[in-house]
Amino acid sequence: MATASQAATPPRSTMLGVRLREAGWGYGFVAVPIAVFGLFFVYPFGYALYISFFHWGILGKQAGGAGTFNYDKVVHDPVFHTALKNIAEYTLGVVPLTMALGLSLALVINQKIRGRNFFRSAFYFPSIASSVAITTIALYLFNANGLFNHIIGSKTPWFQNAPTVMWAIVGLNSWTSAGTAMLYYLAALQSIPTDVYEAAAVDNTGAWRTFWRITFPLLRPAHFFVLVIFGIGALKLFDQAFVVSNGLGGPNYSTYTPVLYIYREAFTTFDFGVAAAAGVLLFALIFVLTLAQRLTVGREEAA
Amino acid sequence: MTLQTVAAADPFIPRRARSEVARKAFFYAVIVLVAAIFFVPFIYTLTTSFKTLPDAANVTFIPHPWTSSAWHTIWTQYDFKTYIKNSVFLAVVVTVCNIFLGGLGGYAFARLKFPGRELLFLLVPGTLMIPDQLRLIPVFVMLTNWHLIGNFSGYILINLVTATNLFFMRQYFLTIPKDFEEAAKLDGAGYFKTFWRVMLPLALPAISALVILQFQGTWNDFFWPLILFGQGNPAHYTIQLGLAELDFQYTVLWPQICAGSILAILPILAIFLAFQRYFISGVVSAGVKG
Repeated sequence: MATASQAATPPRSTMLGVRLREAGWGYGFVAVPIAVFGLFFVYPFGYALYISFFHWGILGKQAGGAGTFNYDKVVHDPVFHTALKNIAEYTLGVVPLTMALGLSLALVINQKIRGRNFFRSAFYFPSIASSVAITTIALYLFNANGLFNHIIGSKTPWFQNAPTVMWAIVGLNSWTSAGTAMLYYLAALQSIPTDVYEAAAVDNTGAWRTFWRITFPLLRPAHFFVLVIFGIGALKLFDQAFVVSNGLGGPNYSTYTPVLYIYREAFTTFDFGVAAAAGVLLFALIFVLTLAQRLTVGREEAA
Repeated sequence: MTLQTVAAADPFIPRRARSEVARKAFFYAVIVLVAAIFFVPFIYTLTTSFKTLPDAANVTFIPHPWTSSAWHTIWTQYDFKTYIKNSVFLAVVVTVCNIFLGGLGGYAFARLKFPGRELLFLLVPGTLMIPDQLRLIPVFVMLTNWHLIGNFSGYILINLVTATNLFFMRQYFLTIPKDFEEAAKLDGAGYFKTFWRVMLPLALPAISALVILQFQGTWNDFFWPLILFGQGNPAHYTIQLGLAELDFQYTVLWPQICAGSILAILPILAIFLAFQRYFISGVVSAGVKG
């Protein structure tokens, strides 16, 4: 009967019926996803703000509001300060290193070389292996009597030693994520039109000069994208800090990160109010960075 | 400079070509060395997993003697069998739910017309702005109240469908010509049948990419399993939780720890080797959309 009415122009009432039916199915199809996003993303966003203004323990909300008590506590907590200092050092270390490694690998892979796909896969693989397994392997290779110390002739327990552990994680994570940065840079390199290089070749510009004067500046959008993606990722450091310190943030608070702070406030101190407040502060920081990215990228596209 | 002196020494080979060969050789030497930095850790870990405990203290690549006892211990005594089973179960269930719900929602947002569609769709990129670290406390409180902590249903519920997957499926459906649906409609197929029989099979390339990335994401997930079942009963541990626990309890039991790490990576390595191009195109397209 649907086939019959297709041929002639259907009467108005049937048109409305078809549209209503389509809308009904449309709502039905999106119902579960929208419920999941609403219930487990949008609602928790408000709920986190709410919890952060109460004294909230394992048994739930306590009578009476807390005002800004939780925020004051976080902002004045020396452990949180240490966590911020650690994550700042980590971010300033890991982001440039990942970018430099990723770009170098991309430049190599972008050459006409034999086994290109093989090398690309080899460099990318650590990016998809689990963070816990990669960190475990690093604990083994960098222990006091491990392979790394054997090669360099040292006995430093890189991951158990307060002055070195954060830098060891910087090294580990730049190595791990270099492959992802490489893929982003590779996509950007391949979108640079070849006539730019042809012009440089005509001018007899050397390879080094061509790279710094032409390729590097043309990669600006990619630099910015990689910077923001890995910058935000770095601020959320958790798995590696947890695994190397048995979830304690030690030795001597050297692996405390803001996310580990949230975790420990919630599940060892059982102060959900403080944990939620710290979560809100971390979110605000990430949000500002994301906004900066959106605005800058928007402006560049407009220009 | 050294390359040029070598080239100058042999007058029969043009200077340029000679240095070109040397340059190539040098380039390959460097790239193989770099590749080794990416390979050696895994190979060394693999061989250590076949060592005895005293032999693991020696920095050698060949076990002496070879033994599979570390593998045997983690599989039975430390119950990695259960952890692997749990991880496979969660990864499969979450991935299947994401294909179905992400596909269904993605199809509706791409093709069906209903009032408020654009407004509802704003939720999708909006969701991506809310980090897990902020959701952690409220989601934990909600799931506690519903008695969904310490069992798999809570984990599955919050991971039923992700905004990334829904968005990805919608983008793919937008590229499929409308002729297919019109043909299905002429055959009298309803909306669900059109989706299930026509559109979903056409989206197979997108589904393959989704399967790989989501399976890997759930398999590697540490944060949510730690929160939702890390406190209680090891019977619910995933492979990543089990491995972290092994690190904590047996700090220097290297053969076992190495075997556990390899086990935690192996399925992802197998999938990666089989479907590399999906991984790589998935990452790049997700990145470009950003």
